[in-house]
This record gives sequence, structure tokens and C-alpha cells, in this order.
Amino acid sequence: MSSASPRGRGLLPAAPGIGLALCLLLGGCLDNGARPLMGLNLQLAHTAVNRDPALSSDWLALIGGREGREQVRLVRLSQGAPVPLPGLNRPDARPVSVAVDQWGERLALIRELEGRSELVLYRRSLQSLQLIPIEPAGVPHRLALSADGRVLAVEVGRGGLSQVDLLELP
Amino acid sequence: MPNSPGPFHSGRFWLGPTLLGASVLGLLLLVQACSLPWGLRRQPSPRTGLGLGAESRQDPALSGDGRLLASLVLRSGRSTVLLQDRRSGQTMPLPLLRGQQPHSSPSLSWNGRYLALLVWRGGRRQVVINDRATNRLLPLPLRGDREAQRLSLAPDGRHLAVELVEGGQTRVEVFGLGEWLEPDPVPGSLLQGPSSGARP
Repeated sequence: MSSASPRGRGLLPAAPGIGLALCLLLGGCLDNGARPLMGLNLQLAHTAVNRDPALSSDWLALIGGREGREQVRLVRLSQGAPVPLPGLNRPDARPVSVAVDQWGERLALIRELEGRSELVLYRRSLQSLQLIPIEPAGVPHRLALSADGRVLAVEVGRGGLSQVDLLELP
Repeated sequence: MPNSPGPFHSGRFWLGPTLLGASVLGLLLLVQACSLPWGLRRQPSPRTGLGLGAESRQDPALSGDGRLLASLVLRSGRSTVLLQDRRSGQTMPLPLLRGQQPHSSPSLSWNGRYLALLVWRGGRRQVVINDRATNRLLPLPLRGDREAQRLSLAPDGRHLAVELVEGGQTRVEVFGLGEWLEPDPVPGSLLQGPSSGARP
């Protein structure tokens, strides 16, 4: 039988959170008037790994999760909360690079699936996922999507060189 | 009166639709040659203008309106950011960034006024924002032993997301720049959504 009181059990999980908050408060400020978004940063800090951020107006897309089980996440800054992305994340896929348009409607994603890298375009309102073939063949490494959602730039490895492919989306 | 063939039986009646069909088919083939079935169009990347031969380009970034392209090229063996008009290939000078290579993780605001990136300064990687309108380089030093890995600047210049490493852990933090930078205006961004319809 455990001797810890309910109150004690409640405090113990909170301790790392308090430490993180102090760390963010003391070390998070940039000079020159840049201010950390404390609430959002604290929420993000609870995830084991967060990487490859892509901002577009009120939206932050990033790759986060536990090592080996990472997913694409989309957070609305003004609400400080993630929104669901049904049909985008797969347990057998590893996201590599992500970008979002200014409406949080289109997400472009490079992911590794069954040993191959592929480029996909996700439309959130339709919950649809479209594969974009790389032509000529190559391995996509990193991407950028214009905030208006009309242009996609993809770094592609071909024959030992890195090139940038540009695609105009309808 | 001889029974002359009506227009329905004349060769001319069929000639029109046939020509029309052939034209449409030709047009479709032409369009398909440079686009995917659902209308995506590929555009050759503008040349770097840094010399002949194969050029390696990495880490692309686009302005919010898609007009400008920033990418990293190797110049004298060091990674250097190159800013170009996406269509014409015209290169924009970035004199304030000279001597601070290697550059990495470029990110552009809506009209390309602000270029945020990581530069090598004082023996470490640092966050800077190049304000091309005022020709200033604004450093954003991270306090402590935290090191920035990647950046993303919001199109209006109001927020900056930084991927950083501290104590071996990688995480993302977002900073508000509203008190520091003038906004780079985003035309009508809150008034209209994409054709497919944005979801709140």
C-alpha cells in the first residue's frame, strides 16, 4: 500500500513542469524586445522532442513526439492548442520536413515510408492526402510552402547533388 | 429537285468537330507534358549565376507571396544564402551577411523584407534578421548555452519559431517580435481563405 498522499502524488508530476517553466522564464528571452510565448512554449516543452518548426501567420506546424514515434502537429498560436489532422499521420511513417500555408489549410510533408522518401500534400478541410511525384526521380529532403499556399520549393537529392524543385499548386 | 445531302451528311459537318477534338487533344497533351493530372505545374529553379557546371542548392525558403526564393549554395566552400526572384532569377544583394558564413535555415517574410537565418558569429551559430528595407542586421542572441538549429519566421514578421538544443534535448520555442519589428503586411490574409475553404 502506498504511503504517498493524493496531494503528494499530485505535486510530484508537477515538479518537472515547474522546473521547465523557470528554465523558459530565465533562459527563454531574446534581447531586442523579442518575447517568448510562455504558455505555448511550456506546452511544447512537455513533448520529448520537437523539431523542424514552420510558422505561417497564426499556425505553427512542427514534428514532435517520442524518439522513433514522431508525428506532424499543427498548433494555432492564438489558441495555443493543436488541431486534429485526421489521415495525415501514420504509425509506420517518419516525418522529415513539414510546411503550412497561412490558413492552416494546406500542409506539405516529406516522410519516410517503407524505406522510401515521399512528398505529399494534405488539405485539412478535405482530410485528403495527395502524393506528389518527384520528377526526375530523386530523394526529397526538405521543403518550403509559400504562405499563400501556391508555391512549393523542395530540396531534392539527385546523383550526389542537391537541387531545388519548384512547383506551382492549383 | 435532286435530293442533296443535308448538312448532317456533309463532310463539312464532321470536319468541325474533328478539328475541334484534335485541338483539344493536342492542348491536353501539351498541358500534361508540364503538369500533373490535378494541375500542378513544375518550374525550373532559377540558376545561381555563380558559375558553370553543376550547382548544389539546399534548404529552400519562399516569401509569403512566393515571389522570392532563398536557398543555400556553396561559395568558396562555405554555405551562403542566395536570394532570388523566383521567376526572373534576378539575385538580390545581401551585403550585411558577407563574412558570416556558413549560413543556414533561411526564412522569409511575406514581401521578403525580412530574411531570418542562422549565421556564424563569434565562434558560434547565431540568429539574425536582415531587414532589407532599412538595411540593418538585427541579432537575436539566445541566452545561456542554448544553440539554435533551425528557424521559421511568420510571414507578417510577428513571430519567430526557433528549434534549439539545450542539454542534449531538441525543442521548439516561439517568440513574439511585434514590439520589435514593423509588420511586413500580408494583403487580405484574414479576409479570404483558399478556394478549397479553410477550417477554423
